[in-house]
Amino acid sequence: MTMTASRTHFLVCTGGGCIASGSLEVSQAVRAELEKRDLAGEVDVVETGCLGPCVRGPVALVYPDGVFYQNVHVEDVPEIVEEHLLKGRVVERLVSHAPGTDKTQAEMTDIPFFNRQVKIVLRNCGIIDPLDIGEYIARDGYQALAKVVTEMTPEQVVEEVLASGLRGRGGAGFPTGMKWRFAQQQGSDVKYMLCNADEGDPGAFMDRSVLEGDPHSLIEGMIIGAYAIGAHQGYVYVRAEYPLAVERLEHALNQAREYGLLGKDILGSGFDFDLEIRMGSGAFVCGEETALMTSIEGHRGEPRPRPPFPAVSGLWGKPSVLNNVETFANIAPIILKGAEWYASTGTEKSKGTKVFALGGNVQHTGLVEVPIGMQLGELIYDVGGGIPNGKTYKAAQLGGPSGGCIPREHLNVPVDYATLQELGAIMGSGGVIVMDEDTCMVDIARFFLEFTQEESCGKCTPCRVGTKRMLEIVERICNGEGEEGDIERLIALGETISQTALCGLGQTAPNPVLSTIRHFRHEYEAHIKDKYCEAGVCSSLFKARCSNACPANVNIPGFVSLVAEGRYDEALRFHRERNPLASICARVCFHPCERKCMRATLDGPLAIRQVKRFMVEQETTPQLPEIRENAENARRKVAIVGSGPAGLSAAYFLARLGYKPVVFEAEPKAGGMLVQAIPAYRLPRKELAREVAMIEGMGVHFEYGKALGRDFTLQSLRDEGYEAVFVAVGAPRGMGIGVPGEDGPGVYDGLSFLKDYNLHGTARVGTNVAVIGGGNAAIDAARTAIRLGAESVKILYRRTRAEMPAWSEEIDAADLEGIEIMTLVAPEEILRDAEGNVTGVRCTRMALGDYDRSGRRQPVAGHDPAFVVEADTVIAAIGQKLDAAAVLDGTPIELDRRGYLAADRKTGRTSVDWVFTGGDAMTGPSSVVEAIGAGERAAAGIDELLTGANHAFWRRDIEPPTAFDPDADPVPVERHTIEELPVAQRVKSFDEVELGWAAEVALAEAKRCLRCDYGKYHAEG
Amino acid sequence: MAAKITSPDQLKALAEAAKAGLNVRQGRKETQVTVHMGTCGIAAGARGVLASFMAEMGEAGVSDVSLHQTGCAGLCEEEPMATVTHADGTMYRYGLLDEAKVREIVQKHLLGGEPVTAYLIEA
Amino acid sequence: MNEDVKRCECCAEEPTEEELLERLDAVIEDYRGKPGALIPVLQLAQGIFGYLPEVALKHIARRLGKPYSEVAGVVGFYSFFTTVPRGEHLVRVCLGTACYVRGGVQVLDALKKELDIDIGGTTDDRRFSLAIGRCFGACGLAPVIMVDEDVHHRVKPKRVNEILAQYAGEPALAERSA
Repeated sequence: MTMTASRTHFLVCTGGGCIASGSLEVSQAVRAELEKRDLAGEVDVVETGCLGPCVRGPVALVYPDGVFYQNVHVEDVPEIVEEHLLKGRVVERLVSHAPGTDKTQAEMTDIPFFNRQVKIVLRNCGIIDPLDIGEYIARDGYQALAKVVTEMTPEQVVEEVLASGLRGRGGAGFPTGMKWRFAQQQGSDVKYMLCNADEGDPGAFMDRSVLEGDPHSLIEGMIIGAYAIGAHQGYVYVRAEYPLAVERLEHALNQAREYGLLGKDILGSGFDFDLEIRMGSGAFVCGEETALMTSIEGHRGEPRPRPPFPAVSGLWGKPSVLNNVETFANIAPIILKGAEWYASTGTEKSKGTKVFALGGNVQHTGLVEVPIGMQLGELIYDVGGGIPNGKTYKAAQLGGPSGGCIPREHLNVPVDYATLQELGAIMGSGGVIVMDEDTCMVDIARFFLEFTQEESCGKCTPCRVGTKRMLEIVERICNGEGEEGDIERLIALGETISQTALCGLGQTAPNPVLSTIRHFRHEYEAHIKDKYCEAGVCSSLFKARCSNACPANVNIPGFVSLVAEGRYDEALRFHRERNPLASICARVCFHPCERKCMRATLDGPLAIRQVKRFMVEQETTPQLPEIRENAENARRKVAIVGSGPAGLSAAYFLARLGYKPVVFEAEPKAGGMLVQAIPAYRLPRKELAREVAMIEGMGVHFEYGKALGRDFTLQSLRDEGYEAVFVAVGAPRGMGIGVPGEDGPGVYDGLSFLKDYNLHGTARVGTNVAVIGGGNAAIDAARTAIRLGAESVKILYRRTRAEMPAWSEEIDAADLEGIEIMTLVAPEEILRDAEGNVTGVRCTRMALGDYDRSGRRQPVAGHDPAFVVEADTVIAAIGQKLDAAAVLDGTPIELDRRGYLAADRKTGRTSVDWVFTGGDAMTGPSSVVEAIGAGERAAAGIDELLTGANHAFWRRDIEPPTAFDPDADPVPVERHTIEELPVAQRVKSFDEVELGWAAEVALAEAKRCLRCDYGKYHAEG
Repeated sequence: MAAKITSPDQLKALAEAAKAGLNVRQGRKETQVTVHMGTCGIAAGARGVLASFMAEMGEAGVSDVSLHQTGCAGLCEEEPMATVTHADGTMYRYGLLDEAKVREIVQKHLLGGEPVTAYLIEA
Repeated sequence: MNEDVKRCECCAEEPTEEELLERLDAVIEDYRGKPGALIPVLQLAQGIFGYLPEVALKHIARRLGKPYSEVAGVVGFYSFFTTVPRGEHLVRVCLGTACYVRGGVQVLDALKKELDIDIGGTTDDRRFSLAIGRCFGACGLAPVIMVDEDVHHRVKPKRVNEILAQYAGEPALAERSA
């Protein structure tokens, strides 16, 4: 080193993750560029260990500014050198941005991923050069060792560690000080200090990170431990999969020996200790302490029964202590700063910090060190940045194959040893695998069982045979061959294995199964009883993920591939096999299919809804699939109450079986919410009329102006000879806000407002409109109000935009149309003047508090003073409900907890055997396509009631009669965009906002389908 | 081949010596010297000024001041320039710097705590 | 058999079996008398031969004074050891939890199809062997595969042919993927 220290240090992360992303090349390029610009003497380039956020790699840090660069590639290097290292200007495009804003977070301390961390174990990772012992020493390295060998007795060292409350970080969480004390008390002159760096838990890599980024912190911890227990030889057992870790540790050991910190007479104290590396050879069981020792001895790494415990008889029968890397890395700071300092972090019973490896479906994957006891939600959302790709959190697996999962109901829990255990998970080595809605929990259980089964060393029967039996059962369930009683069998087997297996790994092997059953039993049941995998993972249970996600089970690859071949009429008939309302769904379906589209992994999900729109635009004469005329069925009287999507769908499928049902509708127009609530700019009325007419043409009779409970009752229908009734009345009652001033003129509920305009054209709005709520009805009301001439429309919502239940396309459209969306705002009172006219809404600012059971953050009142939003019209669109008593009029149908009609999910049959239900009246406010699916199920259910058999012939899977070349590689084509009417034009009218596609665009889009269903029809015969 | 460390005192001495090299990585200090390195500044010799600060601060053992660069301050006729910022936000802008002036600023201002008013811009 | 061994070796001299055994002897000498020497010796032997042929195992058993059955038992226990020669490049697909959740199985399926071999298999041209691994510790970048010592991250099933092409060198694979 020269006399003058460099003015700037450029630190490049050379953890394994960043190396894989090309950080060594970046480092090379920076050196070369500095050389070229004659800055080499001023700027130091340092290759450090892992900085943590692997997903943004390669990452680099510039000191003294503390600027953090991410995704740095060789091409970026000249700009960084020129702009930042020479001129001091931060290269903005390579720094982090605050989520959802343009605000840059250049300095490391600005970034939530870093600033919520407390670094003890990782204190040097990413800050020092792991190959330079001098840098470790400069950061107080080996000072703890010096203190121990000169000032402390072995007993005092043990006391200090004990007092710190440090627990083993490898899995079981046994107090480290106790382990040391047992070994210390043994009278043997040969003892061993061992480090478990086998890190077999898939999903955890903190040990690798320390080995690669700060190997001396492990070495120092081990020497101190050896001094405390009286060992003179130690081994570090590193897995063979970590070649870089082995290389850096080897280098560090050599340096420590050169400096006299390892070997004979350490620091002139007379204490001798040396260390050797032993490499694992790919056996998971060697992470278990007795198996690891057997392996170091040179044998098959099988566990031994305990007792005797290793502290008494371990490696080669001598007293031995085994701790993992993270545990050892805590030792030097504890000695140097004291037990009290260490214990001040963490919780009452779990002291200090824990390093977590965040992985799976989380935005910022990587390594983080946080105080023990941090809320799980904070760890995943604030540090981890939440779930990517707009998906929702489902569960996190903690503790790997020995641990369990934590569902969204428990996002509030503190992550500490005791709490995790209560929930059926464990801290383990700190792997946190976040799983989103696309993860099937039964499949996850299968994955872990497969893992433990494969890794079982085979020595004891419970583990070898028991996990095999469990795996067979779970595999059967995943393949759609699950049987009644399987869940109970799994639990019984799991409990037996926990109680009887020889080693810790065997005893904990059933945990992932037991934990997923505990928290996601309904998923097991759906697999077993309904042969349904909601997540779309267990591929034996469906043909394609899109169709599996469709509540109406439309054969999506079928109609899309027919469109791609220009066979539009056939495509439409294919669609209407399962869903009659193709044109309606082409406008208003929230397309759960697109969320599951596999094409998303390549470039973008297929625009299924828009392909459908093009398809229905080609319809000249009504395209209907097979209809089975049946004179017997035609004579039987079936009533359908309500002409919303559920009623229309039920009528259609009954008609396909030859029935001639009668539909009773309270309003003068058919469609239910489709006509009453959904505005024409989303669903042109002629599209609705066209499909209603099509169903009418199939022999369905509509009676308008007839309301259940007003003009007739269920009993009166029965008396008129109706043998079955389908009640599909929806949930049409708006809910009040429950604040002072809401009763009186100028305050409307959202549904009534929409209905007044849509049916009667009579809705009035003032100049300033405030809409309260965050669902689709709120957005519809707001966008309708703008079109009716309101000058200013504001939406007031109590949570944030991310939590709004309305579809994001709708929210964006409202935004574009000039509607102001005010979030974290809750109404307290509707203000009125002396004449009773509305003048405004007094509101409170909300803040996000703890997580609720839906995994969303609860809004809680903030501390800011209340404020007034001026308004002359208030529309409350905060929810809908069913007034069951009014429609049932004494018919004794059971209701569910929320007041909706209770019914069998598969047939819609209620507690009164001739009454069926479906749609919002059964589920509460839901989607159009859910209602269509429910109508189909009820139609089949009614037919079965009347005939005693299931005739739903359309439920067979028909192989699409289209060509497909499975060997052709897909050509990258981005998802085609949907054009919209210009804003200025659309806010003045109710013309449809979305525009259709030209044929060449639609066909190109349809051809993007990857045909996930291909080759899966043969079994049908 | 490094010499063996045979006592804790030796280790301490080694740590002290090594700390200077890592000083930069402690991040921003309470007092910051910022050299203006816009194109004009570099043309007027800001590189040399930056190097002088490094050398002088290193020699004088100034460890509680961090050295930064930034862009043009908009006063081209005063280049090369540097700004000294204290923890309380007070700023001193020096203009038309050269090696000798830098030495004086390091000695009197950074070490002695007295700004060198003669070189300040529009004092 | 002997021919195969030679083809496995990357070095130009193509050492004979005798030369390889000599190198093995040097390794055994280093470890002689050390406790627990068997596994490190086996690891180094695999590095020398590319795999663990019977001749090497017998040699090790003899020189370390251990029954051959014990040596074979240890080799059979650890998945790192292989007694059959592998292809020129070892492709390992991580099926650790993070990689599994992020689609590691689809990557594995794509590789099986592309290489037309199963797990543990070697292509006819002896260029690639396919294996699975449990966590390479690169979970932040899942799904991950390792080709020899190179980690490839964020692998998309449809793009595995591009990765393999980097190692193919000669047209054999290019033809297959065309």
